[in-house]
Amino acid sequence: MFLSSKRGLLLLLTVLMLIISCGGDSQDNTVVLAVGGAPSEIDFWEKTASECEEKTGIRLQLIRQPTDTDQRRQNLVTSLRARKSTPDIFLMDVAWIAQFAASEWLEPLEPYMKKHNLPVESFFEPVVRQADTYNDKLIALPVYVDGGLLYYRKDLLQKYGYSGPPATWDELVSCALKITEEERKKNRNFTGFVWQGAQYEGLVCNFLEFAGSNNGGLVLSESQPVFDTEQNRIAVKFMRDLIHTHKLSPSNTYTNMKEEEVRLVFQNGNALFERNWPYAWKLHQASDSPVKNKTGISLLPHFEGGKPAAALGGWHIGLSRFSKNKEKAFTCIGYILSSEVQTKFVTSLGWNSGRVDIYDNVEVQKTIPHAEILKSVFGHAVARPLVPHYSYMSSVLQRYLNAVMAGRMELDKAFTECESELGKIVSQYSNQ
Amino acid sequence: MKNMSKKQRNISSDSLWIAGFLFPGIAFLVIFILIPVFGTLFTSLVSDITFMKRQWAGLDNYIRLFNDSAFRQSLGFTILFILVSVPLETVAGMGLALLMHVKSPFRGVIRAIILIPWAIPAAVTGRIWEVIYNVNYGLANYLVSMAGFGPVNWLGTASGAFIAIVLADLWKTMPFVAIIILAGLSSIPETLYQQARIDGASFVRRFFSITLPLLRPVIVVALLFRTIDALRIFDLIYILTSGGPGGSTTSLSLLGYKYFIGGDYGYGSTLSVVIFLCAFLLSLVVIRLGRFSREVS
Repeated sequence: MFLSSKRGLLLLLTVLMLIISCGGDSQDNTVVLAVGGAPSEIDFWEKTASECEEKTGIRLQLIRQPTDTDQRRQNLVTSLRARKSTPDIFLMDVAWIAQFAASEWLEPLEPYMKKHNLPVESFFEPVVRQADTYNDKLIALPVYVDGGLLYYRKDLLQKYGYSGPPATWDELVSCALKITEEERKKNRNFTGFVWQGAQYEGLVCNFLEFAGSNNGGLVLSESQPVFDTEQNRIAVKFMRDLIHTHKLSPSNTYTNMKEEEVRLVFQNGNALFERNWPYAWKLHQASDSPVKNKTGISLLPHFEGGKPAAALGGWHIGLSRFSKNKEKAFTCIGYILSSEVQTKFVTSLGWNSGRVDIYDNVEVQKTIPHAEILKSVFGHAVARPLVPHYSYMSSVLQRYLNAVMAGRMELDKAFTECESELGKIVSQYSNQ
Repeated sequence: MKNMSKKQRNISSDSLWIAGFLFPGIAFLVIFILIPVFGTLFTSLVSDITFMKRQWAGLDNYIRLFNDSAFRQSLGFTILFILVSVPLETVAGMGLALLMHVKSPFRGVIRAIILIPWAIPAAVTGRIWEVIYNVNYGLANYLVSMAGFGPVNWLGTASGAFIAIVLADLWKTMPFVAIIILAGLSSIPETLYQQARIDGASFVRRFFSITLPLLRPVIVVALLFRTIDALRIFDLIYILTSGGPGGSTTSLSLLGYKYFIGGDYGYGSTLSVVIFLCAFLLSLVVIRLGRFSREVS
């Protein structure tokens, strides 16, 4: 009677529409992996996923995330906070691991590693210790590791009679001043040194390197941050001087210089030195790159009396505590971290594996002739503080450092105010 | 008598039907609007940080807000942005609407061209303007260099970045205002203008005595939409400046977003509630202005 009328049918349809949109499905043999990145990276993951299914019999399904790091994080935070069972495994930037671990979203991995015969010694010890261990528990493993490097124009250094890249910042300045003065006559856009100075996480990494190479940095002493030190002041003043006094770094350093912007300036032949992550190497060496075979790689310079420092970056894989398929999910992690797949990471994407043994592989050494330098870079790695509220500390640091770079704030004022704001954040977010 | 009762029965069965059809709509409003709004309000009263114990916080988050220099900076920026961008967009939109309203053989083409910026997603608009403002190869500096000046770092100073964002937003949203005002223009009877012409009224006089007063309700609607949109501005800034230099262009939404992804849902919600309250108050003010105009006309 009710359904016989047209109106009744219409009403039923309307209500059904509401219900249909809710609901989902779960399959026992499927593990869901969330990854993002450049299109070439996603393609690589697609290939890895189908190979994983062949080898292990487990279907590895991808959730494609955006390229932007913040959006990838937001994407995961939303799922994990809702205690969703998928994604089972996901990649995390080193900067978020502490937040995820402290939120109890990550499954401790040691028991699974024992069962699957994946010794922790396969990975770089400083990386695992500084980035993957939270409250004495291993909660993530490196898929690839990053560290800041100095790229330089081999051809230009040679042309002007330099035998190698600068070891100290003073040497970098005098060398760059001399060469840019000459080169600018031919190329108005030529600049000395490009690095990441926009208001974002990359600026903090750059700061940690400048400061770390002057025995400074961001230390947590009795959980209070120590930021306002003489070493740090010298480092930050130097960063500002690169832009405003020496005019070796372009004025858009503090507005839009992120990794890709920096890479493109160097790659188009418009810079002598570049601070970037290892990924830039393969792109600089691409067949259509103007700086192909003209690029050298070295450790970043340091201040007088300091050592080179490289900010530890990279992506680490974690297993969700809410996964309903943890055993199989770890099998997939094991597959992704196997020497076989990790070698492919290096040879096809130019990423640096977190596995130590990969670097002895001949194929790898052919792809990255600077394998030895990389090993040493990871040995000098300075990690960002492994605290769950790191991102708030970082956004304060970004704000003040960027204001100094832009010449909007005096060094003194920035250091005093920044340290007090960092202190406020720490007391706000530490459990009493 | 018999007819009456039949009619009554029809009414009651009709209202059942009406309730049935309204139910999905109301359910939608409750589930997707009312519950989230009250949920956010509740979360703002809780210390809800993913990596800490969840506990009742009362007004702690709001007190923290008052002592937060980043919040004050964001609030100042957002208010200034509304005050500068909304009037500019309304005036420019009005101009475009008048242009679109002119009867000419190119009317269709003109309308299509004017609408293009509105059809482009804000994220893409951000990328386009990022290229325009680029120090090394941007169009803006190309124009400046033709006039004989050195390269300008448009996004490098607080005021420069502010102007850059206002211009990009103006370009994107003028067409929206223009469409709304155009709808208003089309509804003004042509006879009014004919009468005015007979009385010898000039174009300017006709605009201020006929067009503007009759457009008032429509302008109020445009103002309302634009004010609320400007209050929530996020995407354009996220791409163009990420809130820099030195945090000077961090809008309230961008600030709230940073807290959400860092895991502090309580404080992020508090910022959302503040944005909601601002939008609510601004809407009341604008609607009130709308009523006033109706009484006058």
